[in-house]
Amino acid sequence: MILIHCPYCDEQRPEIEFANAGQAHIARPSDPSAMSDEEWEHYLFIRANPRGRHHERWRHNHGCGRFFNAVRDTVTDKFETTYKAGEPRR
Amino acid sequence: MSEALVRSDPIPAGPFLGRDASLKAAPRLARYVLRARASAAVEKVLGAQIPTAIGGFANGVACLGPDEWLMFASDGRESPVDESGSVSVTEVSDRSVGIILEGARAAEILATGCPLDLDHFAVGRATRTIYETVEIVIVREAMDRFHIEVWRSFAPWLWTALTTAATE
Amino acid sequence: MTGYRLPTGGRIDRATPFKVRFDGRSYSAFAGDSLASALLANGVQLFGRSFKYHRPRGIVGSGSEEPNALISVTRGPGRFTPNLRATNVEVYPGFEAESQNRWPSLRFDFGAINDRLGMFFPAGFYNKTFMWPRSFWERLYEPAIRRMAGLGKSPTEEDPDHYSATYAHCDVLIIGAGPAGIDAALEAASSNQRVILIDEQDEAGGGALADPALWPWLARSMKALAGMPNVTILTRTTAFGYFHDNFIGAVERMTDHLADIGSGPREKLWRIRAGEVVLAQGAIERPLVFDGNDTPGVMLSSAAKVFALRYGVAVGRSVALMASHDSGWQDVFAMAKAGVGIAAIIDVRDEVDADLRAQAEELGIAVRLGQSVIGVRGRHGVTAIEIARNDGGASSTLACDAVLMAGGWTPTVHLWSHSKGTLAWHDDLGAFVPDVPAEKARCVGACAGLWNFGQGLTIDALPTPKDKARIKAFVDFQNDVTAKDIRLAVREGFRSIEHIKRYTTNGMATDQGKTSNLNGLQIASTALSRPVTDIGLTTFRPPYTPQTFGALAGHAKGSLFQPTRKTNIDGWAEENGAVFELVAQWRRARYFPKAGEDMLAAVNRECRMVRSSVGIFDASTLGKIEVVGPDAAEFLNRMYTNPWKALEPGRCRYGLLLKEDGFIADDGVSARLAPDRFHLTTTTGGAARVLNMMEDYLQTEWPDLNVWLTSTTEQYAVIALQGPNARKVLEPLVEGIDLSAEAFPHMAIREGLICGIPTRLFRVSFTGELGFEINVPSAYGRALWERIMAEGARYDITPYGTEAMHVLRAEKGFIIVGQDTDGTVTPFDAGLDWAVGKKKPDFVGKRSLARPDLVASGRKQLVGLLTEDPNHVLEEGAQIVADPKQPIPMTMIGHVTSSYWSETLGRSIALALVADGHHKMGEDLFIPMPGKTHVAKVSSMIFYDAEGARLNV
Repeated sequence: MILIHCPYCDEQRPEIEFANAGQAHIARPSDPSAMSDEEWEHYLFIRANPRGRHHERWRHNHGCGRFFNAVRDTVTDKFETTYKAGEPRR
Repeated sequence: MSEALVRSDPIPAGPFLGRDASLKAAPRLARYVLRARASAAVEKVLGAQIPTAIGGFANGVACLGPDEWLMFASDGRESPVDESGSVSVTEVSDRSVGIILEGARAAEILATGCPLDLDHFAVGRATRTIYETVEIVIVREAMDRFHIEVWRSFAPWLWTALTTAATE
Repeated sequence: MTGYRLPTGGRIDRATPFKVRFDGRSYSAFAGDSLASALLANGVQLFGRSFKYHRPRGIVGSGSEEPNALISVTRGPGRFTPNLRATNVEVYPGFEAESQNRWPSLRFDFGAINDRLGMFFPAGFYNKTFMWPRSFWERLYEPAIRRMAGLGKSPTEEDPDHYSATYAHCDVLIIGAGPAGIDAALEAASSNQRVILIDEQDEAGGGALADPALWPWLARSMKALAGMPNVTILTRTTAFGYFHDNFIGAVERMTDHLADIGSGPREKLWRIRAGEVVLAQGAIERPLVFDGNDTPGVMLSSAAKVFALRYGVAVGRSVALMASHDSGWQDVFAMAKAGVGIAAIIDVRDEVDADLRAQAEELGIAVRLGQSVIGVRGRHGVTAIEIARNDGGASSTLACDAVLMAGGWTPTVHLWSHSKGTLAWHDDLGAFVPDVPAEKARCVGACAGLWNFGQGLTIDALPTPKDKARIKAFVDFQNDVTAKDIRLAVREGFRSIEHIKRYTTNGMATDQGKTSNLNGLQIASTALSRPVTDIGLTTFRPPYTPQTFGALAGHAKGSLFQPTRKTNIDGWAEENGAVFELVAQWRRARYFPKAGEDMLAAVNRECRMVRSSVGIFDASTLGKIEVVGPDAAEFLNRMYTNPWKALEPGRCRYGLLLKEDGFIADDGVSARLAPDRFHLTTTTGGAARVLNMMEDYLQTEWPDLNVWLTSTTEQYAVIALQGPNARKVLEPLVEGIDLSAEAFPHMAIREGLICGIPTRLFRVSFTGELGFEINVPSAYGRALWERIMAEGARYDITPYGTEAMHVLRAEKGFIIVGQDTDGTVTPFDAGLDWAVGKKKPDFVGKRSLARPDLVASGRKQLVGLLTEDPNHVLEEGAQIVADPKQPIPMTMIGHVTSSYWSETLGRSIALALVADGHHKMGEDLFIPMPGKTHVAKVSSMIFYDAEGARLNV
């Protein structure tokens, strides 16, 4: 069980308090109806599957309850950094 | 109308005495979830200072998230009222029950299923966390006393788990 | 000396003798003995039969590395543990164990025929032989192989023991309490850090336990550590896995060593988070590879020394040493001084340190340099060995009753490898040692390759003049892998050690190759003519030693396995004979049988009473979310398919929630309490998921909205009162709410008092009857239920369970998300077009409803089904075809999602997902089942009161 730094609580907390919430920095389009089928498909289904650095969303659901962003290495399972939702991609 | 309805609670009314630790139901409390973008708005509604850092606990109010406070009050207190539209007040008095875990082994017993390092969880801190698979809120009221909040339907399981640990 | 017990010495308590039983025979033992030491002291050499060839096997090691002596311990009903290493098992008065993998007895084992046929069982034998015909595998080959080749029997009874668990935190965790570990603990403890020191043995000391000169130091050190409040010492505790961020799993054995196990937990799972981990696990001696090296009586030199000096047991009366390393010499010197008879020292090296030779001479021990053991006499125990000069010439025979192997040392890097620390090959040690850590961790002592055992020669196998293809020189004792098997694998083209391992199964037994990996690697290296560093090492994985399921489960057993959530009213249901079912983690009353009723009779009665008078139902498990804030209506408008902004306070609306992919995620009726406050309901199973989804949109997509969500699922007990007499039952109990049809119409909410308690009273119906859902603070649920039961008695009020609820809603064509939908059903597929706001510019999932595949024809759509035989109730999940005469495999066009006997209609009804179902109204479809194909007509989903007349009363 890894430790994850929650950027809202500003402390390392055990993984069991958290839930992964998929790839980060995929914003819901402001006007979905204006999107082509291909664009919508891309938004809905197409996700990165990198070996190494991966931007993910996590939620501290058994803690402060906040969703936040993280950079995790998918090879080593080590977190490089975590940051609040809405902050620029790192 | 005949006599008033009787409350029934999911854990025993009497205390459980374990080895160097006891467990008992907390007294009946009023509970409110307060949500707001700014703590100042909540303070205005309550007319009292509240903790602003996550994990803080003061005046019966625990700061659980950046915009979330859990308030405990003695039973019968009037609900806080917000007229500004900037604070969400939701009564949750019956959502959870409180368990008081007390004694020299209190932290040791909580640690049987709670993954936090309680040596580094100071008196006066509060947080939402987990005991095995069950979400709880803990308030460290003294070195050897924790107030544990657990949703009502999970309370019998948690009571059994903690009393089992207190027996070992 | 009595038997093989030395007259003095050891750490056993000679003042506490008792008897133990092994395979039904009684043996004497002392407190402090392991099963291995006790039996060796009684002259027992035969401990088990090998996995594949059923060869007789004895003790090889003295601890966790033991590959052979796997035994089963019995201690009363249900308490049966197979595959324990005799070297790790402490004995107590009345101890009872048996050997494994033999029939009918250990000495006369029928399976030993495999040994005679050994030439037919080379590496990969099973893979090659039992391939064809395929159908024979499950029925014939596998059961037969499993009977013949195997370990202990699985326990068949439920485990009566209970287990404990805990988390623990420390600044320094030291694994292994040998001299290096104890020194590390003393150092860390003196700087006032939180220290945990763990060791798998019954007492701390590690290698020092077999070195009497260190006993005073050991006692002093452990006394000092025990007196420090910042130090926790855990013996009988095995660190079995090293996980990310210095998280270590360990199991403490609490009662297995006790004659009286008491009532406490048997084992305790420690989940330890450490600032720094110090690995002091020591090193394991390497066996030597030669013909007959698996004969009982052939063992590791270091193990023999442990038996002599820690347990006071001689492993033989005349013991020969076969060494390639100095450490064996030191061992036999110590043993000789303790009174063990030494037959000879044979060393494969031509030269050894002069000092060693001088000591041997002084002790009168014969020395043979440049020679090797090339064969072992005796089947159930060593009687003599054949020795030959490495440079040729005639062999000679030496009588002895035990042979010690000193093949050098392998640092115990298992946990280091779990942590992903790297290893480096050290030529001078002939071993992989820890190199670059992946966590905040370090290795100390022999675990780091730092030892004072002297020098050695690293060899793959002892030289022999015999035909290497005809001898049995074992590498992996537990999996019966010989040097020949590994060479064969290389000849057959395997190059990677990972492939060689899997083909030969070398290192794949329960000991994970603790004694075999390096020898296997050396042999592969020689066969491939490539250095070991090119071949690599296989990966060690948790657990370090096998652990019980009970220990890993910890407290999570029986009533603590997982929470069973119960409502406030559950106790009443239990007292009144309810039959329960689990819905998510909730226990819900399924039906309330009266005497003599089966489920169907009870459900029929419950349904009849709801339709004719009034029923009462515990709906407390419904998920509830309070949505509060100026933007509450805007938020719900974005989440749900239908419009919410115009909903007036005091009114309710059915909300349909989609995922962004357009498929139905959840549904529920929600009420507007005030302009800025809504009371949402969700399905029982969807409560947490819906709240999470809504929080996700709120926090990350629309953080500008001023609205907050709070789960109130458990704040309210919910009692549904349904049926034409519902209002009459309620009226006398309610204050401040006008219940008349005009003042309180269907799909409205009112706040007031019921029996003096504040209530949120919904006028809603999931049955199609006049209905109310009464929300009160949870603690009052049961008392209110009983009050309503009393009030409703004159209407014969009837409690009903989830089964009747399902039937009643199906009669009305109300779907259950997750039963009638499966994550691929759109609102249109489900016939819920009316719940989709056509004019709304956007809501979650809206864009997807225009996806080409969601508007294409041929989608499965929800319809009603009426069987031709009205008495036949279809099976839920049954597949539907259009043409029952088509050849198999038939084209399935859908399946039954809900199916019941409708007491109201006097016939069966069903809901089904059918391709293009909405365009098949009135058509006959077919449901082929074993024995009979059923015919059913596609119908509307609404079977009862289509116009809703019964609701609006």
